Amino acid sequence: MKSSLKNMVLVLFTITAVSALLVALVNTLTKETIANTEQKNKDLAKLEVLPTFEGEAELEEQTKQIGDFTVGVTKVSANGEVVGYAVEAPSITKSGYADRIYLMVGFVESDGQTTINGIKVLSQKETPGLGANMTKKGNKLELSAVGKNPAEMTFKVKKDDASGSFDSLTGSTISSRAYANALETAYAGYLWAKGELDTSEEAIADAPTGASTTSEAADTPTGATVAEGDYANETEPEAQKGEVTNE
Amino acid sequence: MSKLQLITKGILKENPTFVLILGMCPTLGVTSSAINGMGMGVATMAVLIMSNMVIAMIKNLIPDKVRIPAFIVVIASFVTIIEMLMKAYVPALYASLGVFIPLIVVNCIILGRAEAFASKNGVIDSALDGIGIGLGFTLSLTIIGMVREALGAGSIFGYNFAGDVMPLLFILAPGGFIVLGYLMVLFNKIAKR
Repeated sequence: MKSSLKNMVLVLFTITAVSALLVALVNTLTKETIANTEQKNKDLAKLEVLPTFEGEAELEEQTKQIGDFTVGVTKVSANGEVVGYAVEAPSITKSGYADRIYLMVGFVESDGQTTINGIKVLSQKETPGLGANMTKKGNKLELSAVGKNPAEMTFKVKKDDASGSFDSLTGSTISSRAYANALETAYAGYLWAKGELDTSEEAIADAPTGASTTSEAADTPTGATVAEGDYANETEPEAQKGEVTNE
Repeated sequence: MSKLQLITKGILKENPTFVLILGMCPTLGVTSSAINGMGMGVATMAVLIMSNMVIAMIKNLIPDKVRIPAFIVVIASFVTIIEMLMKAYVPALYASLGVFIPLIVVNCIILGRAEAFASKNGVIDSALDGIGIGLGFTLSLTIIGMVREALGAGSIFGYNFAGDVMPLLFILAPGGFIVLGYLMVLFNKIAKR
């Protein structure tokens, strides 16, 4: 077609208008289905990280705001008995190589001992073939945590700190750090949901801040303890102070 | 050119990766394993066939001077629509190919074929060209992915044969360039004979 100013403007305008309209239309049509699928996947992930059980699952959900992030804790029970807690948590203080990592972690309690029953990566944008290997079954990070008692773990990679509990993925220390951090957040969320987030306990005061001293990290204990009431608010600066001197 | 030639030329004579040297960004980015290379190839092929057909259909309505912006808008909205539909109705497929979809928009093979072929040929020929180039791209990416995975991780399609001793370099970007370069030499030597 000949390129006169009039028809160039007209055609480009028509094409962009029609395209925008189509994209908007498809978006409206699919939005609900997409949200449903995502919710279903999340619900499936919740059951996947917990042991199998008989009967109907009852989900009791609560969410906790930590800074800009949301930690979702779901108490799963069946036949009146608590099966475990599925916690959805982001890596707060440490981003992965490309983006934050979101994990679904299943905690099970028996005889007063908490065990990490299963971990599923909900979202990550790490390098395919390297950090993205964290989504594979039986990878080093998963093996470092599943079946262990989180209270006895140090949420650091062995490369940074000899006492760390995590073997990092080959060539992906940054992704591994973020994974450990997300797990730490999940554990804090679990303790919070059970009402055991006690600021006097050193392990937990440590928990949300990790090894980082950025302002981002400093927000975290505040967010984590606000709901605990006045008492927590009083003790919180102290816990924070202790944290800083430790480092 | 016969219909069959339209398909085969994309695999050998006009192989997008090794001969036309198009779409290098996704090529180097996703070929760290064979399965990723194949996924990217297949997703690109699907988009390429359809975008070629759409461009061939509307080519007579577009003034010459604004054809490139017009093609880009068409391709980008097309890819976005496919992504949303996949996400909504075939979530399993989306889970495995989804990460590649946004990358396809910026893949110059799509625009290159729209410009070089679909804007001058009919709908059916354009679809066949899309199949040919798409197959060539899929094949090249799978081969690069296999070589990199074998050298870097000691496995092929996730099946490990060498344990954890292989040089990681080949999974990382520099290894991608090295493998791509040598495969290009090899391919052109074979294809020229």
